[in-house]
Amino acid sequence: MTPLCLMEDVRKTFRMGDDAVEVLKGIDLAVAPGEFAAIMGTSGSGKSTLMNLIGCLDVPTSGRYLLAGREVLGLQDDDLSELRNAHIGFVFQSFYLLPYATVLENVLLPTLYRESAKDHAEDHAIELLRLVGLEARMRFRPNRLSGGEQQRAAICRALMNDPELLLADEPTGQLDSRTAAEIMNLLAKMNERGKTVIVVTHDPAIAAYAKRIIRIRDGVIVDEQAD
Amino acid sequence: MNRLINIFSQSLRAVLALKLRSFFCILSIAIGISAITIIVAATEGAYQKAFDIVAAFGPDSVLIVGGAEESRGIARREKTLTLTDAEAIRSAFGTAYMVVPMSNVRDVIISYRGNRYQAPVIGSSSDYSLAWTWPVVEGSDFTEVDLKRSANVALIGNETMRELFGEENPVGKFIQVRQIPVQVVGVLLERGASVGGGNVDNRVVMPITTVMKKLQNEAKYVAVLRVRFEDQENLDRRVEELKTFLRAQHRIPDGESNDFQIFSSKDIIRFLVALTGSLVVFVGIVGIISLIVAGFVLANLFHLSVRERTGEIGIRRSVGAKRRDILFQFLGEALLLTTAGGLCGFLLGVAASGLLQYVEAFPIHFSWRAFAIGLFLSWLVGIVFGLQPASRAANLEPIEAIRS
Repeated sequence: MTPLCLMEDVRKTFRMGDDAVEVLKGIDLAVAPGEFAAIMGTSGSGKSTLMNLIGCLDVPTSGRYLLAGREVLGLQDDDLSELRNAHIGFVFQSFYLLPYATVLENVLLPTLYRESAKDHAEDHAIELLRLVGLEARMRFRPNRLSGGEQQRAAICRALMNDPELLLADEPTGQLDSRTAAEIMNLLAKMNERGKTVIVVTHDPAIAAYAKRIIRIRDGVIVDEQAD
Repeated sequence: MNRLINIFSQSLRAVLALKLRSFFCILSIAIGISAITIIVAATEGAYQKAFDIVAAFGPDSVLIVGGAEESRGIARREKTLTLTDAEAIRSAFGTAYMVVPMSNVRDVIISYRGNRYQAPVIGSSSDYSLAWTWPVVEGSDFTEVDLKRSANVALIGNETMRELFGEENPVGKFIQVRQIPVQVVGVLLERGASVGGGNVDNRVVMPITTVMKKLQNEAKYVAVLRVRFEDQENLDRRVEELKTFLRAQHRIPDGESNDFQIFSSKDIIRFLVALTGSLVVFVGIVGIISLIVAGFVLANLFHLSVRERTGEIGIRRSVGAKRRDILFQFLGEALLLTTAGGLCGFLLGVAASGLLQYVEAFPIHFSWRAFAIGLFLSWLVGIVFGLQPASRAANLEPIEAIRS
């Protein structure tokens, strides 16, 4: 099967004044459609940078990165935006729900930037909210929701444009362990429904939900294990 | 197009949500725009009034005033024009269908049955009503015969009528003009304020012969000559011809300045515009300064807002917003606020100029132009001062925005 994400010798260098710091030092990675993978590493290991590259929030300094068969290196900013909009759903540690919009409007956010308008967007959003049990709260502002509920709304938003890849960066970082388990179960459920899920975490308990664990240290992948 | 509508709807959401920021932006823009609105309305009012006056007093007419340009002030003006000049102009200029000599005596006590009133008395030929396009509403104008006989007859202004007669019909009644009994033959239509804002409805108009002999003890000189031409299109040329003609008539040697001045309708407009001008300049400077201040207020509040909303920008970029989507959203917010500020400012300007009109008879005229200029300036401020914060928002790197 052709991989959804394919990285070959990906390097990322940041310039800090006169110094160049190489954060990723040659990553080779292939993630097949339908996988549930966790990227593990301590802070400073380069896992966040790797996530940014996978998510097309940033581009590699060198190497090759194919997302859904498309070469990312050398793409313009607008093209990256389109790639993110169509292929990737993000889930962040701190939810990033717009405080002044309702839960439903937040879920609909990715549709605003869609290249082709689709009908029944709102119906789809409501369906997603029903799936995560937030249907009754869709007219609320995010600040009236608990942390777990906010993250569920954020997952609905990530799913809104029906992307192949769900990319979650420490999705349970602000949640208690019981709620964290709920969220991870939800991500697992989405994986069962066919979504490719990549979770970036430092927490082994969270990584345990994944079927494959990729460990990164000092900018290189040091260990891979699959269940 | 659809995308742009979506993005502007996001702008509207943000504007409605961030109430304090919106309030201060709208307030500061409104102050500037209200000042601008007043200026535009005052300028338009001045022109409107000038044209009204020109239309009322005759666009085909010129006014010749005795005395050189240097001797300013109506009271101190030398007398250089004569009834002979009037006759000479009448016979020399074929298209001058009306030449009306006039004199005036200020502050004359006029009384009727114990009612006393102080008013200017104007001496004129029999065509006063025609010369000034000023209809007689009761009775009639005095005649050529009255003029020849230096008859004691008068046309009175509307205000004089009210002051002396109240509800009584004045036509045919005798009033005392400096102890001289004068019969009222007609009443002039109420005209309201004149060019300089002065009252013209209090005047008493009598045959110039009567005024010269009986009030001024003057045999020769008159104050002004009013000339109306059939060929209005040649007015500028006629003015020049009149100058040459009067210089010859008064035997003024070359190199010496005129001992008279000629005003045409263009001068009336110029006068009124100059009168309004100083106020326009003052309010204009205030308006522009407050608009610039408003612009900086907007820019500052937007900078703060962009910093506060880094997370929002980050998530929007993550879900696929392009740089220009962010730019348009923030510019849209600025434009919505300045538009609202412009509309509030316009209403504020209307209210303020209403007050101004109430305090002093100041010509104000509102039109779509005052509105359009206000709105245009609001947009200009929105774009000029909103662009920098908006492009800063647009150029935030997604990874920077998400990290915060």
